[in-house]
Amino acid sequence: MRNRSRTLAALATAGALTLTLTACSSDDDGGSAETPADGDWSGETLTVMHFEGQDSAMGIAWDRAIEIFEEETGATVDLQLTAFEDLRTSAEQLFDSGDAPDVAEYNKGNATAGQLAAIGVLENLDAAYEEYGWGDMLADSVATTAQYNEDGIMGSGSYYGVPNYGEFTFLYYNEDMFTEHGVEVPTSIEEVEAAAQTFADAGVTPFAESVQEYPLGQLWYQLALSQADRDFVNAYQLYTEPVDWQGAEISYATETIAEWVDNGFISSEVTGMTAEDAGLEFINGEVPMFYSGSWWYGRFLTEVSDFEMGITNWPSTELTPGSGGNMWVVPVESEQPELARVFIDITMRPEIQALLGDSGGLPVAADPADITDEDAQALIELFNEVNERDGLSFYPDWPTPNFYGDLNGVLQGLVNGDFTAEEAQAELESYYEDHVADIRD
Amino acid sequence: MTSTMTPKRRKRIHEPARIPERGGRKLGYWLYFLPGALLVSVIIFYPIVRNLRLSFFHWRGGRAEEEFAGLDNWAALFQDQEYLQSFQNIILVIFAMVIIPTLLGLVIAALLFDVIGRRFGGKLSSFLRATYYLPQILPIAVAGVLFGWLLKPNSDGVVNQFLTFITGSEVTVNWLGGSYPTAMGAVMVLMIWIQIGYPVVIFMAALQRVDPELYEAAELDGANWYERFRAITLAQIKPEVFVVSLTTTIAAMKVFAPVFILTQGGPNKSTYVPSFYAYNEFVNGTDKGYAAAIASSITILVAIVAIIFIRVQNRSERKDA
Repeated sequence: MRNRSRTLAALATAGALTLTLTACSSDDDGGSAETPADGDWSGETLTVMHFEGQDSAMGIAWDRAIEIFEEETGATVDLQLTAFEDLRTSAEQLFDSGDAPDVAEYNKGNATAGQLAAIGVLENLDAAYEEYGWGDMLADSVATTAQYNEDGIMGSGSYYGVPNYGEFTFLYYNEDMFTEHGVEVPTSIEEVEAAAQTFADAGVTPFAESVQEYPLGQLWYQLALSQADRDFVNAYQLYTEPVDWQGAEISYATETIAEWVDNGFISSEVTGMTAEDAGLEFINGEVPMFYSGSWWYGRFLTEVSDFEMGITNWPSTELTPGSGGNMWVVPVESEQPELARVFIDITMRPEIQALLGDSGGLPVAADPADITDEDAQALIELFNEVNERDGLSFYPDWPTPNFYGDLNGVLQGLVNGDFTAEEAQAELESYYEDHVADIRD
Repeated sequence: MTSTMTPKRRKRIHEPARIPERGGRKLGYWLYFLPGALLVSVIIFYPIVRNLRLSFFHWRGGRAEEEFAGLDNWAALFQDQEYLQSFQNIILVIFAMVIIPTLLGLVIAALLFDVIGRRFGGKLSSFLRATYYLPQILPIAVAGVLFGWLLKPNSDGVVNQFLTFITGSEVTVNWLGGSYPTAMGAVMVLMIWIQIGYPVVIFMAALQRVDPELYEAAELDGANWYERFRAITLAQIKPEVFVVSLTTTIAAMKVFAPVFILTQGGPNKSTYVPSFYAYNEFVNGTDKGYAAAIASSITILVAIVAIIFIRVQNRSERKDA
């Protein structure tokens, strides 16, 4: 009996402590500094968080923006660098905590910024858009990823972020290998396949790929987009109507991937490879083609030294994976929301946007006449070509929070031969519908 | 001498500090209990209670409203193929983290102690023991990266190069990205490699307390190595075998890092384990309540397994006594 009463007493104590702790953990609203009348913010600190490399186009441009910000406001910037993956997994907790940065770069799309907007951890920026006129600087397809409705679906509703660069995917090729094998830069899908066949016949794997991470998923989506129209994109990304997973667009993509693996255009080893592995294969001159995003461009310019690199848009398509880049968001726990807006506005200035472009990035609000670098111009030209046909169609993994992993997993099964094309599509449909059916209803 | 001591002084020796009393009851023990209780409450009870509570709600996260879901999340677990698959994989993980290392650990410890230690001296067996233990002190992230490098799918991979060298023809096995058996097999090999040193060290420590005369007597009676291993080693270190089995089974049921680092649950989710699934649902999912149900189910199962183990051990000890 005595033992039992002691145990009960111990449990009661632990329970009481637990309750006390619960009471202590109530939300603490972050305060915000008051606007000084003369615009002098001396003594204040703005915490800025981003995940771009400091020698990347964005890193270079934003460093300059920080200098200007400090000069003009008198406030200091506490710059916190993080990794894309780290922020992706921790933003939900971080932005809703006392450690939240005042302004942060964050991934766009339904599954990321949309999800955070829907659960109330991002500040609504409608008033700031009106005050600073950011909306007028953004192309429609770029602005799509800055607006989210109450379910966190992009394209309508309030503004929750400010994208100040763009990104899209295209074909990188090794000009030297093309010349060596007598291959022309392809201008149709038939020419892509003929080029791939030439390389495969010569014992060279034509495409650098990986499916532990995104590259093959993006190629799959590009293949589907080449058979699709804007209604398909709206159905797939904005849930306007059900997607036909056994329809012409997706069947073409899945069957083509399976066929290309069978033909040796894509190695079956890609299931064990990361995006970095694929990028390195291309940099090392082991494979002639790599279909991936503009975020590689600056690095390839620096690291490709043994051959001439060329870039071209995927042929025979109106639609291309791409969007506004990652965006500046202001967490609800930001202690300096007003300074955050001042900082964002500086990053949108023509001089910063031009610097971003000249450093190899894709500015969203630059005057093309300000861009002087030849390589930067080549990239911007390609991007403008996509924008002129209103081609930006976002990314394949945006529809559901888990779709990135789901898509990679199913494509791994397809490449391994565990799934037929039809089975892979049915599998993808079940993951997609699992999340989207509720929202569409 | 004792006659010179005053009664007052004697009292001070026996009761150096007065235990605070209230209402005639001694509070002393409770004072000692408090720091531990506080820590356990903050680190163990509070998260478990919060998590269990959350498993009965649908919650999108952040500042979204929580909606009471009753047993919805728990019922959904039993129809969720990924969840069931992740538990099937736990059986393989138990092989890799409990059964194989414990069996191998027993043999290695016995060999090091009874054969190497006696023939070549304690220094060599201590050195070998430390070698087996090395993977245990290596951060799992480092071990994962190392294995990722060894198991690269193309001819760059060290394992493939080694197999190419042995067989004479080019081997390019896609270890981590291949279909079911290779990826799970590769993760299991990493787990065995990491795990093996733990039972070896525990069992060798246990063997130190076995009376050497037992072995000598058995040897004089003509017992061979296997007979000595079965009759003396196994019988004497039974309690340690229980402890190792219990701790490694618990570790196996909540294993996370090797899967996270090596395969991210792939290819096609074939290496999912429950804790990775719970993590993935918490981080990427839109219903944190469901993730909480997965996590709570692991906690409950681990507790049940631990209780069963301890009961079986107690019964076995009573029988031996």
